[in-house]
This record gives sequence, C-alpha cells and structure tokens, in this order.
Amino acid sequence: MATRKKVLLKVIILGDSGVGKTSLMNQYVNKKFSNQYKATIGADFLTKEVIVDDRIVTLQIWDTAGQERFQSLGVAFYRGADCCVLVFDVTAPNTFKSLDSWRDEFLIQASPREPTDFPFVLLGNKVDLEPRAISTKRAQQWCLSKNNIPYFETSAKEALNVEQAFQSIARNALTQQSQSVDLYNEFPDQIKLTNTTNRNSNGDSCAC
Amino acid sequence: MTSIQDNDYKAKLIASVKKEVKQVMEESVTKKFVHEESGSVTSLCGAVEACLSQGLRRRALGLFKTSSTTALLHKIAKHSSEAALISKKVIDLENLDPNRRSSSSSDSTTKPVLMKNLSFQNVNLLPKYLWIRLALFEKQLSRIIDYLVTNASRYYDKDALVADPDYGSILSSLLVGPCALDYSRTKTADHFWTDPPADELLQRHRISSSHSTPPPVRRPIPNFRRSLNTSSDESTNRCQTQHLAKDYVESLHQNSRATLLFGKNNVLVTPPKAGQIEPMPGYLSLHQTANCLTIKWTPNQLMNGFTESDVPDKNIYWDYAIQVRLDEVVYVHCHQDVETGGTVILVGQDGVQRPPIHFPRGGHMLAFLNCLETGLLPHGRLDPPLWLQQSYATKNHKRKRPLPSLVENEDEPKDFVFRIVDSSNHKEISVKRHDLMNRNGHMVTKVRAQLGSSSTSSESSTKSFSIEQSCTINDGSNVCIQAVCESMKRQIISRAFYGWLAYCRHLSTVRTHLSGLVHGTIISGENAKEGLSEEKWAELFVEGVLNNPDEVYKLTYYGGVAHELRKEVWPYLLGHYKFGSTVSQREELSEQTKQAYETTMSEWLAVEAIVKQRDKETQANAIAKLSSESTSGEQVPPQIQRDLSNDVFEDISDYEFDSNEDLTDNEEKQKRMKKTEQNTVIYEGSDEEKQVNNETDALPDKLPQDDEEVNVDLENLRLTNSVLEEACSSTTEHNSQIEETDLRRFVGNVIVTNPSVDMSNFSMEIRRKSSLVALTEENGQSLECIETHGLVSPARSACVSPASSNGGVYSPELLETFGLNLHRIEKDVQRCDRNYWYFTCENLDKLRNVMCTYVWEHLDIGYMQGMCDLVAPLLVIFNDESLTYACFCHLMERMVENFPNGNAMDCHFANMRSLIQILDSEMYELMHSHGDYTHFYFCYRWFLLDFKRELVYSDVFSIWEVIWAAQQVASSHFVLFLALALLEIYRDIILSNSMDFTDVIKFFNEMAERHEAQAVLRIARELVLQLQLLIENK
Ligand SMILES: Nc1nc2c(ncn2[C@@H]2O[C@H](COP(=O)(O)OP(=O)(O)OP(=O)(O)O)[C@@H](O)[C@H]2O)c(=O)[nH]1
Ligand SMILES: [Mg+2]
Repeated sequence: MATRKKVLLKVIILGDSGVGKTSLMNQYVNKKFSNQYKATIGADFLTKEVIVDDRIVTLQIWDTAGQERFQSLGVAFYRGADCCVLVFDVTAPNTFKSLDSWRDEFLIQASPREPTDFPFVLLGNKVDLEPRAISTKRAQQWCLSKNNIPYFETSAKEALNVEQAFQSIARNALTQQSQSVDLYNEFPDQIKLTNTTNRNSNGDSCAC
Repeated sequence: MTSIQDNDYKAKLIASVKKEVKQVMEESVTKKFVHEESGSVTSLCGAVEACLSQGLRRRALGLFKTSSTTALLHKIAKHSSEAALISKKVIDLENLDPNRRSSSSSDSTTKPVLMKNLSFQNVNLLPKYLWIRLALFEKQLSRIIDYLVTNASRYYDKDALVADPDYGSILSSLLVGPCALDYSRTKTADHFWTDPPADELLQRHRISSSHSTPPPVRRPIPNFRRSLNTSSDESTNRCQTQHLAKDYVESLHQNSRATLLFGKNNVLVTPPKAGQIEPMPGYLSLHQTANCLTIKWTPNQLMNGFTESDVPDKNIYWDYAIQVRLDEVVYVHCHQDVETGGTVILVGQDGVQRPPIHFPRGGHMLAFLNCLETGLLPHGRLDPPLWLQQSYATKNHKRKRPLPSLVENEDEPKDFVFRIVDSSNHKEISVKRHDLMNRNGHMVTKVRAQLGSSSTSSESSTKSFSIEQSCTINDGSNVCIQAVCESMKRQIISRAFYGWLAYCRHLSTVRTHLSGLVHGTIISGENAKEGLSEEKWAELFVEGVLNNPDEVYKLTYYGGVAHELRKEVWPYLLGHYKFGSTVSQREELSEQTKQAYETTMSEWLAVEAIVKQRDKETQANAIAKLSSESTSGEQVPPQIQRDLSNDVFEDISDYEFDSNEDLTDNEEKQKRMKKTEQNTVIYEGSDEEKQVNNETDALPDKLPQDDEEVNVDLENLRLTNSVLEEACSSTTEHNSQIEETDLRRFVGNVIVTNPSVDMSNFSMEIRRKSSLVALTEENGQSLECIETHGLVSPARSACVSPASSNGGVYSPELLETFGLNLHRIEKDVQRCDRNYWYFTCENLDKLRNVMCTYVWEHLDIGYMQGMCDLVAPLLVIFNDESLTYACFCHLMERMVENFPNGNAMDCHFANMRSLIQILDSEMYELMHSHGDYTHFYFCYRWFLLDFKRELVYSDVFSIWEVIWAAQQVASSHFVLFLALALLEIYRDIILSNSMDFTDVIKFFNEMAERHEAQAVLRIARELVLQLQLLIENK
C-alpha cells in the first residue's frame, strides 16, 4: 500500500518481443544496459521518483511479455494505466507493423475513460544499430495519424534519448491523471515550486 | 517574529490548507458531491482565510474592518473581474434585510444564482468566510488568489505567505481542485444517512440527548418515508428550495425514524413559558413518524447557538421549544395577512389553543398546510380539503381554485378553519402497531439498518414509492405490516442460516475438490532424507538395470539426487528411460533418439536456409524503402518505373510469399536443385553478377502485394541509382557476415560449397546426405508431405521429388510459420541465462538446435516464450542435444498445458485460491481485501517455468527433480505446494505490510533467485501432509 500514497503514475510498456522494453526500463531506472536481461515472463515493474513540472511523482513502469500469445495475461496489468508506451525496433519492420494491434489491444483491455485522449508515447528503439528499416518520417507519420503521439528515437544500449522520452511519458501520464481527482489524495510532503511554475495552465482547468 | 518562526508558521498555514483541500476532494470522491455547508468547506475557507490574513498590509491599505480580507476583496475588485463578481455578490447579500429579501426573492427563484444566495438569507445565518465561500462556489477562488499572489507587493508585507514566491503559488494551485468541483445545496437522502461530518453528528447528539425534547419515536417504518418532493405545488417547491437551502439545520432532525416533511426558519412564535410578549424567531418543522405527525418549533438560539460563544444558561431555550402531536389537534385556524405573511393556530381536542405560529411572507403558510395535508394521509385529512375536487368547484364558485384566500397577492386578510378528520380505526391501528413493535422490536432494528443502507442507493425510487404506498396501504395496513414484519423476520433468519449452510458446504466442496491434489497415501520419508546418494545408487543400479522405481522416487522426493547422478537419473524420472531396462536397450534408444534428432534437424535446417535468404531480401527491401523515403522529392526515372511494373505483374502470381519477402522471377530461375546419386541434394544458384537496375526490380516497393504501402510507395518512389547502389553495397556486406555464421550450422549433415553471397542471389550449394528434402517442380505439390511431423519419416522420404529449378519447395505458410518461430527462438536464446557459465555461444547454439527441433516437430504448438528456460537446465545437466530434446519432449507433456493455449494455469490459480482459503485464512482475507489478488497472477511465472526463474541453477535442479518424483510419491500438483511454501515463508512480511497486488509482485520479482530452496522444499512437503490430514479428517 505504501506506493499508493504518493502521486503514482502507472505506465505500461508494450511492443513486440525483443524490441527492448526491458532494456529501456532498466536503462531509465537503473542507468545500465546489460545483454543479460532475460525475456520477460509474466509482468514486472520498476518504480522511479521523478520531478515533473516541479512535482514529485512516482512512476510505476510495467514491463510485460512481448509475445502476442501472452497478451491475455498482460491485460490484468493494463488497468488503471496513466500512460502507454509503445516500443518498436527501428531495424525490424514487423515490430513497427504490430504497433496498431498493440495500441488497439491496449485500448480495448484497459478501457480508459477517454480512449481518444489517452496518452501514448512511441519509442523507436535500437537506433544505434544499422541498418535501419523504419525511417523517422514513417514513424512520425504513424504518430500523426494517431492523434499526434509524441515520438522518440532511443537506444537503450547507448542511453540515447531515454531520459527525455521518459520525462515526456511522465508528463503525459500526469496530465492524464490530473483529470481525475486521485491526484489530491495525498500531496508530496515537500513541494518545491519556483517562480517559473506555469500556473495558468492549471488555472484553466477550473473553468470546466 | 524571527524569520524561522515566520517560515514555520507559513508552512503550518499551507499544511492546513493542504489538509482541508484533501478533505474536500476526498469527500467529493466518496460522496460524489460536496455540500455547500459541509463542515469541510467551512474548514477549508477558514484555512484559506488564515493564509490570506497573514501579513496583510491592513494599515497601509486602510483595512480596519473586522473582516479585512473581505475589505481586501472589495479593494481588488477594481482590478480583477473575478474579484468584482464576488464582491458584488457579497454586498448584495449583506445589504438585504432577511424578511424583505425572502419575499422579493420568491419572485425570482428560477434564477439559480439567486437561489444560491438564499442560503445566506438570514444575517444570523450568513456563514463565516462568506466571500471565500462564494468565490469557491463560483469557481473563482484560485484565480482571485492568483491575482493576489501576482500583485502581492501591493497588498502584503514582504514576508507574507501570499508574497512568498513558493507558498503563494502553492496556495493558488492547491485551490484549483476544489474550484473545479460543483457544490450542491440540496442534501440528498444519503447525505443524511451516511458519514455526516463530525459537526453534524455533534449537533444531532446535542439535540437528541437533551432532556427537554421527548425521546425520538422509536417506531421505524422506512418505507413510509416521504419527501417534500411529493408536492407539486409551485409555492411548495419554492418553499422547499428555501428550506433546503438551510438543510444544514434541518438535517439535525432528518433521521431514519422520522421523515422531515416541512421546515422553515424564522417562524415567529411566542413560547408560552417565555413570559415575554415579543415573538421569537425559530425553526418550524413537520415530521412524520410511523404513527403520527409532529410539529416542532425550535428557537433560533438553539439552532445557531453552537457556533457562537456558549451561553451557559442556553438550556432555558429548551423549555421554549414546542412540540405538538397532530393527532391531538382538531382544528387548524389560519389567518392570512398580506403584510405579515400568515398565522396558524392549532386547537387541540381539549379546546386549548397552541401558541400562534407566524409565518414570514412568501407562501410559507400555504406550503406548510400543503405538507400537513399530505402528511395526514392516509389515516387523516383536512376538511375542507386544501385542494378541492371538481364536484365541489361546480357548487361553489369561490372554491374553484385552491383556497383563493390562501393565495398570495389577495389584498384583504382572510381567515380559514380546517378540521383534521381522523379515519375511523386510527386509534386501533396505532395500538396494534405498538404491539407489533414490542414483539419484533429487536428484529426491526436490524431490518432498518438494512433498509436504511439500501435506501441511500435508490433514493429517488424510495420517494416515488412512498407516495403510492401512502395511497394503497389504507385499510389493511395493520395486517399488512404485521405480515411484512413476520416475513422479514423469517427471511433474515433463513438467510443467515442458508448463508452459514452454504459456507459449510463450500468448505466441504473445497476439501473434496482439493483432495484430488494429494495422493491418498503418501509414502513416508523414513530413511530417505539423505536422498539418492552415490551409495544408494550403487545399491539400486545393479548391472546397469534400475529396478526399484518406488525407492528412487522416494529418495528423490525426500532428499534429492546427488548432482553427479542427475545425468543418469533424470531420464528415468522424466520417463525417457524405462525402469528395468538394460544397458543395451538404453543404448539402442539413445541411438534411435540421436538419429531421429539429426534427421529432424536436417529438415528444419533446410527450411532455415530459405528463411534466412528471404530475411536478407526483406532487409534489403526495407533499406531500399528507407532510402527511397529519404530521397523522396526526386524524380523517378521513368524507365525504372516501367521495368518495375512489368516484373511485378508478371511474376507475383506465382508467389504467395509474405508481403515482405518477395522474390522475383529472375532470381527464382537462378535457383537450381540437383539430386545427386548419393541422395545428396545440390542447391545451387548462378553466380552472375546483377546490375543495379536488376536489383531494383526486386525491391518490394513495386510489388502490389504489399498492399497499401505499395500504393504509397509507387507514388513516392524517387530512386536515384547512386543512392540505391550505396544502400545495396552496404547490405551485401552486412548480409554476407550473417550468412557465414549461419551457414556454419550446416556442418555435419550439410556441406556449403559456395558461401559467397550477394544480395539477391541464392547462390549456394547445399549437399545433403539425407534424402529428406522435399523438392518439387510445382509450388504446393509437396504440402501434405511436409505437414507430417514424424521423427522417423519414411512417409516424407516418399515425397522426395526431383530437384526443382523453380524453387517454392515448401508451402509459403510453412515457411512463414517456421520463420516466425525461428526469429522468436533466436531472440530468446540470445537472452537465455547469459549470466550462467554454461551458456557460451557454442552451448547457446545447442540450446537453439533443441528448441528449433522441438518447434519443427510441434509447429502447431509453436515456440512460446519460456520454453528456452525449460530446455536450459536439462541441457546443462545432459550436455547432449538429442537426450535433452527427448527429455524436454517428456517434460513438455505436462508443461505445455501451462502455456497460453492450455488451461492448467487457470487450474493452478483456482487451486491456489482454495488452498489458501483453507490453509491460511488470514492471508486469504488480505489478498481478498487488498485490491483482490486472489487471481494469483503473481504466481504466473512460478508455474509456467516450474520456478526456474525464481531460483539459482543448483536449486532449480533440486526443485525440479522433487516435482517429478512427487508425482509418484505424494502429489501430482507439487508445484502448488511449492508456491504455497513461498507464500508461507514470507507470510508475516506480506501480512504486516498488508501488501497489495503490486507490492506482492514487486516483492517476489525482487526476491527471485534469493529464496532458500531447501526450506521451500521442506515446507512444501509439510504442506502436502497438512492438506492430506485435513482431507482425512473431513
Ligand atoms: N543494439 C541495441 N540492442 C538493444 C537495445 N535495446 C535492447 N537491445 C537488445 O535487444 C534484445 C531484446 O531486449 P529486451 O529489452 O529484452 O526486449 P523486450 O522488449 O523486453 O523483449 P520481451 O521481454 O521478450 O518482450 C536484447 O538482446 C537487448 O540486449 C538497443 O537500444 N540497442
Ligand atoms: Mg522484456
């Protein structure tokens, strides 16, 4: 229960087997890459405290098995997600092609309140590898067609763009969650606000 | 004040706002609404006020009034539109005389804003923190504070909270949430019954425990609850709105025993005991209890007093309070007066007048009479009726409308007298009711609790129901109620009984069900603790024959197998070797196994080669596509386009390949298969170099099968030769590297004669000793042959046909399926236990071979993640591909059911649930209550891999052999007891931290490879015995 008390953002990482979900998660949380990570069985999650817009939040990042046969299991963990991270391997065209079905499956199973507004983030992983099969443009086009999903090209191996991607994931998760009142269940004990806080964006929400 | 103290104080102020915001937000979540006059709103406003007052430059700004923040509001109204709005509302409210306003407002009650204001109509009742409240309800508070924060220098001292760069913005952001809520004025039924704020509870207690008010009537008939909504009269609604605006006060009286029919404050009464001539304002209410109507009047001093400073002699007001039972009243005298409103005088059976009740203007008297009339039903009525029937109307012109004299705006004062007519058997009924209540008093209380709670969820239906009830119940009501009570009593008792019975039955079925999990008799572990040691083995393994299976199983179950013996013993445990078999029998078996394994391997290796080739082409295609995208904008040479379309439309008809894997006719023609005399197949291709342009032809972009993408690509394709060349040369390099390593696998059965490769040529020669590669002239002809998956496959050799120059030996479906599996296997092999010493690249290849062989033989099952994990420990022990393969096949007979298309996993979960329920109810309760994780998903990996990932390798060996032996010794479901043992070992940690689902998942994932295997095994064996004992005693 302890994890519940803070602002907790639940993030689900989805994508074909081997695209590097586990590696990305570990690179982000533990700052290391290893070729000793095993194929994910079942589900696991790591948590990390991050500061988003001057607010301390706890990211609970869920990593599930990538083989589609195991999807039925993953759905047990989809519920209550605040953001869904879709990952493909820029060197493997098939992993890009399955993005649609991952996204659809997630929306069906997690059944978020506002499916069209639910935050997704797309990561094209393994950009350190040659040769590339999916161009940036193609990925961006896909994102555009899906309500302008943010897109990042990452390398879990070289720690490229991973931090930035997850920062954006956290922010998107937070906006998703602040639409529900859960946020107010507990405030972080210490809030450090600076003058640069963008209060206006918050203020707008009270007109609704 | 030092700055440290100052800071502490500010922190405290903010903390209190935080706390109150949280309170309000929680209230809004749990109740789905927050009432305007809820205690938490008041506290929040108080906390905000405290923040805003701190460091306010009162003197400089000339703010000397008592409420300086209100003055501040008026001051900033000039600059902030939000503040101006609220400022105006505050002034409006403060300037209004309560009585005058109530009448004027009655004209405009349709405007919601004004109605809102009504809640503050009495100066006495003007709530604290008025402007903050209003600003909150109007959703402007955070903006006003925002304004103050941004302009803090003008209004606040430098060290004020509002002027603080951090605290100021925290304050305004905190209030964004509460400002987004809608506050309700109307209290719904559940507001009255459920979690009232402490303030309300106190007040209820204060009044009900007072000696001067009679004890509340005990008789509860919740079904009879009526609400004001039953009246449709416009003025009643108006009065209702008004009194609902003050429902904070009313709620003091609304409870589960009595329904509040009417309530109005500032009703003037001269209390008989007060000895004073001046009438006092007070709160008049009409209550309906089960057997009578009661009119109550409570002096304002009692109603409001609790917020003001406590007057010690406040108790005297209790003496002034009036309570009249309507069944003691015979006449109701009404006097209507335009100036003063209306007066009602009640005259009792004894002819004595009760003190006159003066209603303020605004139709309150009519509303009161209306409610009274409704309340009298069905046992009594007003005579003449307030609402006249049509027949009356024809006789008496004056009474066409509902008592015209009672309608407002009539100029002259009117008097009217009503008689309260009692239905004949009224007295009788009430006596009977009392009887009934005494008999069933205890039970009824229970029922009430039940009904009370259910009524909250269906408040509206209760209301509508109550009207009908009051009409239909009439005569037979006494019988009816008695019957209802009796049947309720019976129902409750029987429900409790059946509940208990069902529980007992459930436990017994659970036991019966669980009895299948353990063997009826469990072989005892006497002298077996040291396990299958070298000595024991020497005793049992006589002249190469192992004869005593029971002993082997028993020793293994209780003490495990010595590591050096595992290679020998495991094939027995897994069922590959038969007990009693001779050395030569086993050698023969091994030889057969090996032969079959190699045969199968050669089959899939051939397919693999094709798959690899297609992959290369796919890759090249993708790269070409990529470069085409990156160079988009340039013109496509028309020539290329024409060439493309020709090739594409002529050739594709022959190929049903996957959209990514497209071979052109040109290439196919270069592939030749030759069958040698020694049954060796030579697979060769021409080495001729291709022109860049030819290669362009092979690009998938131009292939129409590539459905939607193709269309796009045909338009967008802007290839220049140079770019293409570049792309091709780089791929060729890359591919040849891959290919070389891949082709090494052919060593043994397959000889690669021409490993040099260019991008699109299938230019290698494969010579095979086996006769099993099925090649045909035509596509699809050999399909049926390939579907059969025998280890030894004479059927398949029959299918061998002469070498084809046309390729397309295997069905595209087969190629695709196997290719997909191959990729998955490769990915997972690469990630299999790389931290364990055994898995060097060479040994990973063995793992891969075993895996591919299994999948080739079981293409219907296919590769599923986790299978590698199951092969790995076997391979480590045997270090022999074919033996590992054979044993793995045996292992999979049981394990395959755990994978997604089997149903064993669900059974495991269900069994776990029952087991925990029976063996550890405390744990079960926790799992059930904490986000219910009795679905046991956190055990998924445990069961899928027989705990392989949970333990270090040496422990995996120990646990696995015990699982296998347990099938013969104690239980075929030993994994369940291992899982239980894992839970039991950490039981106290789980319980004391009251872990929820995610906590448990995290805990066990972090504990992977850190468990103490021997302890787990010991506890698991104990649990088996425990369950067996339980079942025996059933
Ligand atoms: N070069 C390179 N390799 C990577 C990168 N990310 C992951 N890998 C490798 O890709 C393989 C798969 O990575 P994982 O993180 O296990 O993939 P996954 O998505 O978690 O796969 P599943 O658990 O099966 O769903 C591993 O061998 C990693 O070492 C990357 O950014 N660059
Ligand atoms: Mg993974």
